[in-house]
Amino acid sequence: MSENKPSLKYRLALRFNYEARSAGLFILPVMTVLALVAVFPILYSLYTSFFKLKLTRPHQVPFVWFDNYVEILTDELFIESVYRTVSFTLMSVVAILLIATMISLLLNETFRGRRFVSAMILIPWAIPTVANGLLWKWIYDSGYGALNGLLKQLGIIEKYTVWLGDPDKTIPLIANAFVWKEVPLAAILILVTMKSIPADLYRAAKVDGANVIQRFVHITLPSLKPGFMLVLIYETMMAIRHFDLFFLLTEGGPADASHVVSWQIYVETFRNLSFGTGSAMSYILAIVTFALAYAIIKSLGKRI
Amino acid sequence: MTKRVSKLARREFLKVSAAAGAVGALGTSGLFNQAFAASNTVNFMAWSAAVDLVKSHVAEFEKSIGIDVNYANAPWANYRDNIITKFVGGAPLDMMWVSDAWLPEFVDAGWIAPINKFDNLMKYNDEAEDFCNDSMTYKGQQYGLTYYTDFMAFLYDEQALKKAGISSPPTTWDEVTEQCLKIKAAGISEYPLMLALANESWLMNFLAAMVYSHGGRFTDEKGNAAMQSPTEGAIKALQWVIDAVHKHKIVSPACVEIGELTGLKAFQSGNHAFALEPKYRMRPINDPKQSQIAGRCKQVLMPSGDNGKHNTVGWMRFHGMSAATAANQAHAERTAKLIEWFGGRANGEYKFQKYLFTDIGAGFGVKPLFDDKDVQASYNSYADVDMIKAQQALALKSDVVTPWYGEWQETHASAWQAAILGQASAEDAMKKAGDKWNSLKKEFS
Repeated sequence: MSENKPSLKYRLALRFNYEARSAGLFILPVMTVLALVAVFPILYSLYTSFFKLKLTRPHQVPFVWFDNYVEILTDELFIESVYRTVSFTLMSVVAILLIATMISLLLNETFRGRRFVSAMILIPWAIPTVANGLLWKWIYDSGYGALNGLLKQLGIIEKYTVWLGDPDKTIPLIANAFVWKEVPLAAILILVTMKSIPADLYRAAKVDGANVIQRFVHITLPSLKPGFMLVLIYETMMAIRHFDLFFLLTEGGPADASHVVSWQIYVETFRNLSFGTGSAMSYILAIVTFALAYAIIKSLGKRI
Repeated sequence: MTKRVSKLARREFLKVSAAAGAVGALGTSGLFNQAFAASNTVNFMAWSAAVDLVKSHVAEFEKSIGIDVNYANAPWANYRDNIITKFVGGAPLDMMWVSDAWLPEFVDAGWIAPINKFDNLMKYNDEAEDFCNDSMTYKGQQYGLTYYTDFMAFLYDEQALKKAGISSPPTTWDEVTEQCLKIKAAGISEYPLMLALANESWLMNFLAAMVYSHGGRFTDEKGNAAMQSPTEGAIKALQWVIDAVHKHKIVSPACVEIGELTGLKAFQSGNHAFALEPKYRMRPINDPKQSQIAGRCKQVLMPSGDNGKHNTVGWMRFHGMSAATAANQAHAERTAKLIEWFGGRANGEYKFQKYLFTDIGAGFGVKPLFDDKDVQASYNSYADVDMIKAQQALALKSDVVTPWYGEWQETHASAWQAAILGQASAEDAMKKAGDKWNSLKKEFS
């Protein structure tokens, strides 16, 4: 048997033949760049998370093992910020899924002006995030905001209302601005899935006497699962990590009403210049995001 | 032939690599920076304010003194991060603008050096405002000369008071409440007092002005938290704001989302009768091109509380010298000359502080400029120079400037806002802030 076994040299030559070597050589520059700009910073930030590294105390940088992680996970403010992040994510993702499904159902129909409506619906997605934040800051302003002006003119409110300054309204209002920006992309993703549903299914269901609602529940919804899963994973990750609107609209306030995890990472890293705890928080957020995405894929993926 | 070219190219490559390696090694070992520091050029870093004025003053220095200056600037918003990165990375930096709020952390990190050994700089202390000298002093050493200074002022719209039948502006916080209620009852303004208490960099100055004018302090002589003390702390000031928002409804409940700039615009548009604003804002408020209440905005001494003496908070920025520069005697002397040129007298007069004031209205920290005719004329065109002088003399240095100030302020700001929103009592809010202070103090010591 051993006499028939090819030599190691032959097996290596077979495995790393000319084509494989050439391919390796061609992707080497890209891999090098990726290693430098992506892999190294990621690993370095993991390394940093084990130190009490504060930029303003350059002479005291002790190695603290997992102390930063323990400190973060036992910090009351961090736990509260996790609850706020979950609340923001839940209300945003549910709203995005519902509104995007309705829009994609509308755009899936043939009617006069459909292209114009499609273009209009895409506008929020095309607006830069910072511009979106500033726009909503103006809308929500308690003194001169468009929302107060509109509601007063409609006779819904008697005097101007405090919006972002009211801690009960802060997260829902930021979620609203986030949903407005994210819905177009979600609608397109769901629409693409909707377009791939074979028309024969609907014709057969019609022949069997299924009405519109039955066709939607038994054909459209189950067929949309791949699109829903994509939107669910993408928007959940976006919502959990979202920072821009919290920075532009409230800076974590009033009090700690919009102090979410991404905001705490910013404060810890760039205001307090505590790179050790900032890195540890980022790793916790990344692990949670990956775990959630994995759970969604596992639970929904089986049924597709 | 080809082979020869290839060899030459390889040699050239080796030479370039070796040179690059040597430069890299020099840079890493710090020799490069020392070499840079030893050059005749003074590296000056500032934030992007009065850039043209700075450039012309630098040009004049180069011409008069014969020392080259490498001037660079960065936006204020990320200046602190920028300069800290330079310190940590060992970038060449000799003179820089520093905020009084950063002094302890910069000194403790070993980034800036005292100027006590430079007689040509220390001689200006006699003519400088006391709180400016105090603000530049840490652990008994002075770290620079004043670049700019200002204080929180209490402003009012003279016409609004007259309309409400009020003959003189308030002198105490109780009178502020009474006058606001009169103005509100007369239908002149729904929220007569404008307070901008959004969580931004200005917030601490607004809060400190309220606390100091109430006779309170945030810390005691030993640097321990005193803010939670019912008699000498910050509780009275916070309670006054809570009552103003909820009981008397003379301050908008939206104050927690109003930033300094938004508040300024609201006051300029005539929506309020009183406002707490940095003094230098009087100029745009009384400018007809920018304000609807131009000519009507006046200043009065900060109202006082039970124990108060019309105190307010002052702040300042100064010209500092890096520790790396101070280690090189000759270069330190060159840098000290540039510091004097900007923060002291240039050709016999406080030119830079004067021009900074007349050009952009930034306050100065040297007393003789109050007697300057140009300065007086400029001030009197939109304010009362005697009132400014009187209030500036009552300005106190912030008592929370420590290496842990930034971290504490996150908790402190949130505590004030929570109390104003009715989520906590004034006592609980200040206890939370005080506990955080003491815990950070312990951690840093």
